Amino acid sequence: MADVIVFWFLALVTVGSGLAVVLLPNPIYCALCLAMTMVGVSALFVTLGAYFIAGVQLIVYAGAVLVLFTMVLMLFDLKSETNAFSRGVITGAIKVACAGVLSGLIAGAIVMTLGQRSSVVSPLAEKSAIDSTKALGKLLFQENVFAFEALGVLLLVIAVGTVSLARSKGGTHAKH
Amino acid sequence: MGKDTLEIAINGLKLVLIFLMMVQAVPILVWLERRGSAFIQNRFGPNRVGPLGLLQLLADAVKFLTKEDFYPRTAVKTLFYLAPVFALIPATLAFCAIPMSTPIQVAAFDAFGSSWGPYVFKIQGFDISVGIVYILGMSSLAAYTILMAGWGSGSKYSLLGALRASAQTISYELALGLSIVGVILLYGTFDLTSMIQAQEGALHFQMMGQTVTSQFLPNWGFFYQPLGAVLFFAATFAESNRLPFDLAEGEAELVAGFHTEYGGFKMLMFFIGEYGHMMVASGLFAAFYLGGYALPIPSWNPAAVLHWSTELLGSKESGSVLAAIIHFLSFNIKFGLLLWIFIWVRWTLPRFRYDQLMDLGWKTMLPWSLANAMITAVGVYLASVAMV
Repeated sequence: MADVIVFWFLALVTVGSGLAVVLLPNPIYCALCLAMTMVGVSALFVTLGAYFIAGVQLIVYAGAVLVLFTMVLMLFDLKSETNAFSRGVITGAIKVACAGVLSGLIAGAIVMTLGQRSSVVSPLAEKSAIDSTKALGKLLFQENVFAFEALGVLLLVIAVGTVSLARSKGGTHAKH
Repeated sequence: MGKDTLEIAINGLKLVLIFLMMVQAVPILVWLERRGSAFIQNRFGPNRVGPLGLLQLLADAVKFLTKEDFYPRTAVKTLFYLAPVFALIPATLAFCAIPMSTPIQVAAFDAFGSSWGPYVFKIQGFDISVGIVYILGMSSLAAYTILMAGWGSGSKYSLLGALRASAQTISYELALGLSIVGVILLYGTFDLTSMIQAQEGALHFQMMGQTVTSQFLPNWGFFYQPLGAVLFFAATFAESNRLPFDLAEGEAELVAGFHTEYGGFKMLMFFIGEYGHMMVASGLFAAFYLGGYALPIPSWNPAAVLHWSTELLGSKESGSVLAAIIHFLSFNIKFGLLLWIFIWVRWTLPRFRYDQLMDLGWKTMLPWSLANAMITAVGVYLASVAMV
């Protein structure tokens, strides 16, 4: 019973703040609601027994990535941004197209997985938190170490690319 | 939460108690800060209200609560009012996960027509097995309150302070996390209680094929991770926005940074949040490097204390209560000393410049904490090879 209440509460918070991200006009509120969504997702991970992933979700997404998002948003002239994005036929068409693609994706995912309750037990399930953390570490650093390292290199490439793109126009010290 | 109603009720009560403990410690720390700063700067400090000025806290609380409630014309009202409330949440939730003493045992008893127990109550808000990850995750949320306050105030000083603060928190979180990696490698666990248990007994290490055991030094993490301990402590100063890292306030440049526009109890709530972060940092430092709640004498480890108090009082249950009290005091002495160091440093060191702050974070502390993690990993590997 308690599990059900906790689940529905967290689901409501997560989905509600997720909707708020899309529906609210003010980007700052959107970013803060996105952070709330991340916290909700992390709490849902806790209810599933994935403590480590919950913690990492908090530290990485809610604690670092979205703080940077919010910080950058706060430096914008929000009024002109809002106007630029909420007017015009083209932006309207893009919005409708995006909404269509997203709802198509969600519907497709639901239709394709309907009726397939997979009975595959994941290696992380049915273990205490410490064991599941260890199992996760083994999966990442022993079995899938190549993919893990390749992802690391990919992230490095992205970081270098971003810096060089920002510098190509003179960066923060550009002369106008 | 618990097996039956009583256990759930007591565990719920414990959360409230720890929150109250944290909030109540703040006035005492404020008094200590003001008297301490006065002592360091050769002044008197508040000494008029009550003995040693201790009742000044009460007077201040009344003053803060009865001040006029206002918000600036350009402020975003929702965020302006939400920010101080949110300032309390991360520190409180993180503090709840720190173990403060050995558990209390309650024997089975009959009451209200049914049998209850036996119970084991931990002196800790809640026991979460990945304690460190949880605490780091929670305290990383503190950046939002600063951003909300800074942007919601609708003032340039506040926004600049908030931007500085969040940049600083993000930069030093890396050094903080990496300095903890050494501890995690050393003890092989995320659980704070197991870490404290691993630090029991006398300091011992293997050298040239024989075990060297110290007579009087305890087996504390500090002796294995001195560099990690220094880096962790320095990074926690930055995380709690204390001097020498309080550029977010920087009163010479930014009036008071992100809480420029706040007055009365709303400002006090930011204060409580800041002190809460100090408390989390001190509790974590004690758990990682100073043996947590254990007494500093190797032969008086928690099991020995429990045995002694059980023999003294005759029953296992009252013995566990006495042992819990002893360990709680021991924890609080370490805790208090660390908090005093926080205050001491604040009134001793001047503030960094912004470029110095970033240089220290990214070019000094990050490489050193990486090196510390690498050295610890190699050391742990060599020790495990030598064991086999």
